[in-house]
Amino acid sequence: MSDRHVDQVADRVHTIVADIFDSLDRILGSVVACYRASGSFACADLAGVRPEIFACLSRAHDVVAGAGVIVAPGVLADRRRWLEWWQAPPEQDPIFLDVDLDPESLDFYDYTHAEWFAVPEHTRRRHIVGPYVDYGGTDTYMLTFTAPAEVNGRFLGVVGADVRAATFEALLLGVLAASPTTITLVNGEDRVVATNSPRLPAGSLLPQPAPHRLPLTGSPWSIVTTTGDRAISSL
Amino acid sequence: MLERVSQLPRAAVFAPLDDGSGRVEVVVRRLAEAIALGLIADGDQLPAELELANALKVSTVTLRAALAALRERGLVETRRGRGGGTFVLAPADPSTARLRRRLRELSTSELREIGDYRCAIAGTAARLAALRASADNVARLRQLVGRLDAATSVGERRRADGRFHIEVAAAAQSVRLTRAEIDIQSEVGELLWLPYGEAVDPRDVVRSHTRVIDAIEARDPHTARALTEEHLDKGTERLMEFHWRLVASE
Repeated sequence: MSDRHVDQVADRVHTIVADIFDSLDRILGSVVACYRASGSFACADLAGVRPEIFACLSRAHDVVAGAGVIVAPGVLADRRRWLEWWQAPPEQDPIFLDVDLDPESLDFYDYTHAEWFAVPEHTRRRHIVGPYVDYGGTDTYMLTFTAPAEVNGRFLGVVGADVRAATFEALLLGVLAASPTTITLVNGEDRVVATNSPRLPAGSLLPQPAPHRLPLTGSPWSIVTTTGDRAISSL
Repeated sequence: MLERVSQLPRAAVFAPLDDGSGRVEVVVRRLAEAIALGLIADGDQLPAELELANALKVSTVTLRAALAALRERGLVETRRGRGGGTFVLAPADPSTARLRRRLRELSTSELREIGDYRCAIAGTAARLAALRASADNVARLRQLVGRLDAATSVGERRRADGRFHIEVAAAAQSVRLTRAEIDIQSEVGELLWLPYGEAVDPRDVVRSHTRVIDAIEARDPHTARALTEEHLDKGTERLMEFHWRLVASE
C-alpha cells in the first residue's frame, strides 16, 4: 500500500496524536510533582496541576475540548472520587466540569468502569478511546486520550484530553478530500474515526474485515482503503 | 399506605375473575397491583378466605396459593389467633401517592404521546445499536440488566432500567438519541415504574431486556427494534390501565 494519500493521512494522524500526548506528558509531570510535594494528597493539591491543564487547553485550543486529571478512588485523602477536569469553550476561559459522583444518582458518572480509565489502569499504557457517546460527562461524541499516572508503581489515576469526534475529522478533512480513493481511519474495534466515504459515516462499524489495512504506530488505529473511486462527483 | 381511596376500587379489586387459566397468577397480580397502587391500604385486613374466594369466584385452594405467593413477596402477612387474618403490608414509599396523583392527572392522549415518543427514540436506538454497538457496549448492557435483576427496591430497579435505555442509545453512537433518552428517563422514568412497584415481576423486564441485548449482539436490527417497541407498548398499555383504574376509583 504505497498510496501517497494514505501516507499523508497516516502522517497527519500521527502528528495530531503525538501533539496531544506531548501535552498530556506535561500534565502528568505536574501531577507527579504535586503528589510528591504533598504529605497527604488532597483535593486542594490538584490546584497545582491547573496551570499545566490550562496551558494544554490554550496551546491546543482548536483541538482539545477538555483536559485534566481523573483520580483513582481512594488516592485523595478527602474525596473518594474526583475529576479535575476543565473544558475549553471557544473564546472563553476554561470551565470546571461538574459531574455527578453520587453512586445513587441516575446520572452517576461511573468513571472507574469507563474504558479511558480502566484500560490505562490495567495496562499502564497510553490509550485512545472512541469515538463514543460521553453521556453524564460532556454529552458529546468524543475521542478521549489518556495516560496512566503512577508513582513508584502506585496508580494515581489518569491524565487525559478530550477531542470532539467532529474536530478530529475536520483536522483530517484536507488530506482525506484530496484522495480519489476511499480512505477510512478506524479504531481498534473497526469503528470509523474519519473517512472520505459517504457510505460509512464516523461512528459506524466496518461491515466486514478490511483486506487492505495499514496499522498506525503509536495508536490502536489503522487505515483501511478500498479500491475504486469514492463516487463523489464535484458540485 | 398514605391515603385511602374510596370503597369503589375495593369492589373492583374483589370483582369476580372470569379468566379460566392461570388463576393463581391472576389473583396474585390483581391483589399485588391493588396493593402497589395503594387501592388497598397498609394494614387493611383482607376479607376472610372463604368470603374472598367466593367474591373472586376462585376455589379456596387457588386463593390460598395466591396468598402464599403474596406473603412470599412481602405484600401481606397472616396473623394467627384472635383478631387474626391476612393483612396488607404496603411498601412504605412516600413517592407513590404523588406518582399516583400524577398518573391520574395525565390524559390518555398525553400517555399515548409519551409512549409514541419513547418508541421513536428507544426503537431507533435499539436498531442502530444492533448495527453499531461494540463488545464493550454489549457487556455494559448485560451488566445493567444484571443490576436490574439483583435490585431489591423499586428505586434501584428504576435506576438500572433507566440506565439500560440510556446505554442502548449510547451504543447506537448517537448523542442526540442519548440526550433524548436521558430526558425521557428524568421526566417519566419514575412514573414508568409505578405500576411495577411490587406488582409486576421484575424478572419479566429482565427477560425482555435480555432478548433485546441478544438481538443487538446478533447484529439483528429489526428484531432489536421490534422487541423494544413491543416492550414499550406493553408498558404504555399498563400505564393506561392504571390511569383508568385510578380514574374509576374516584
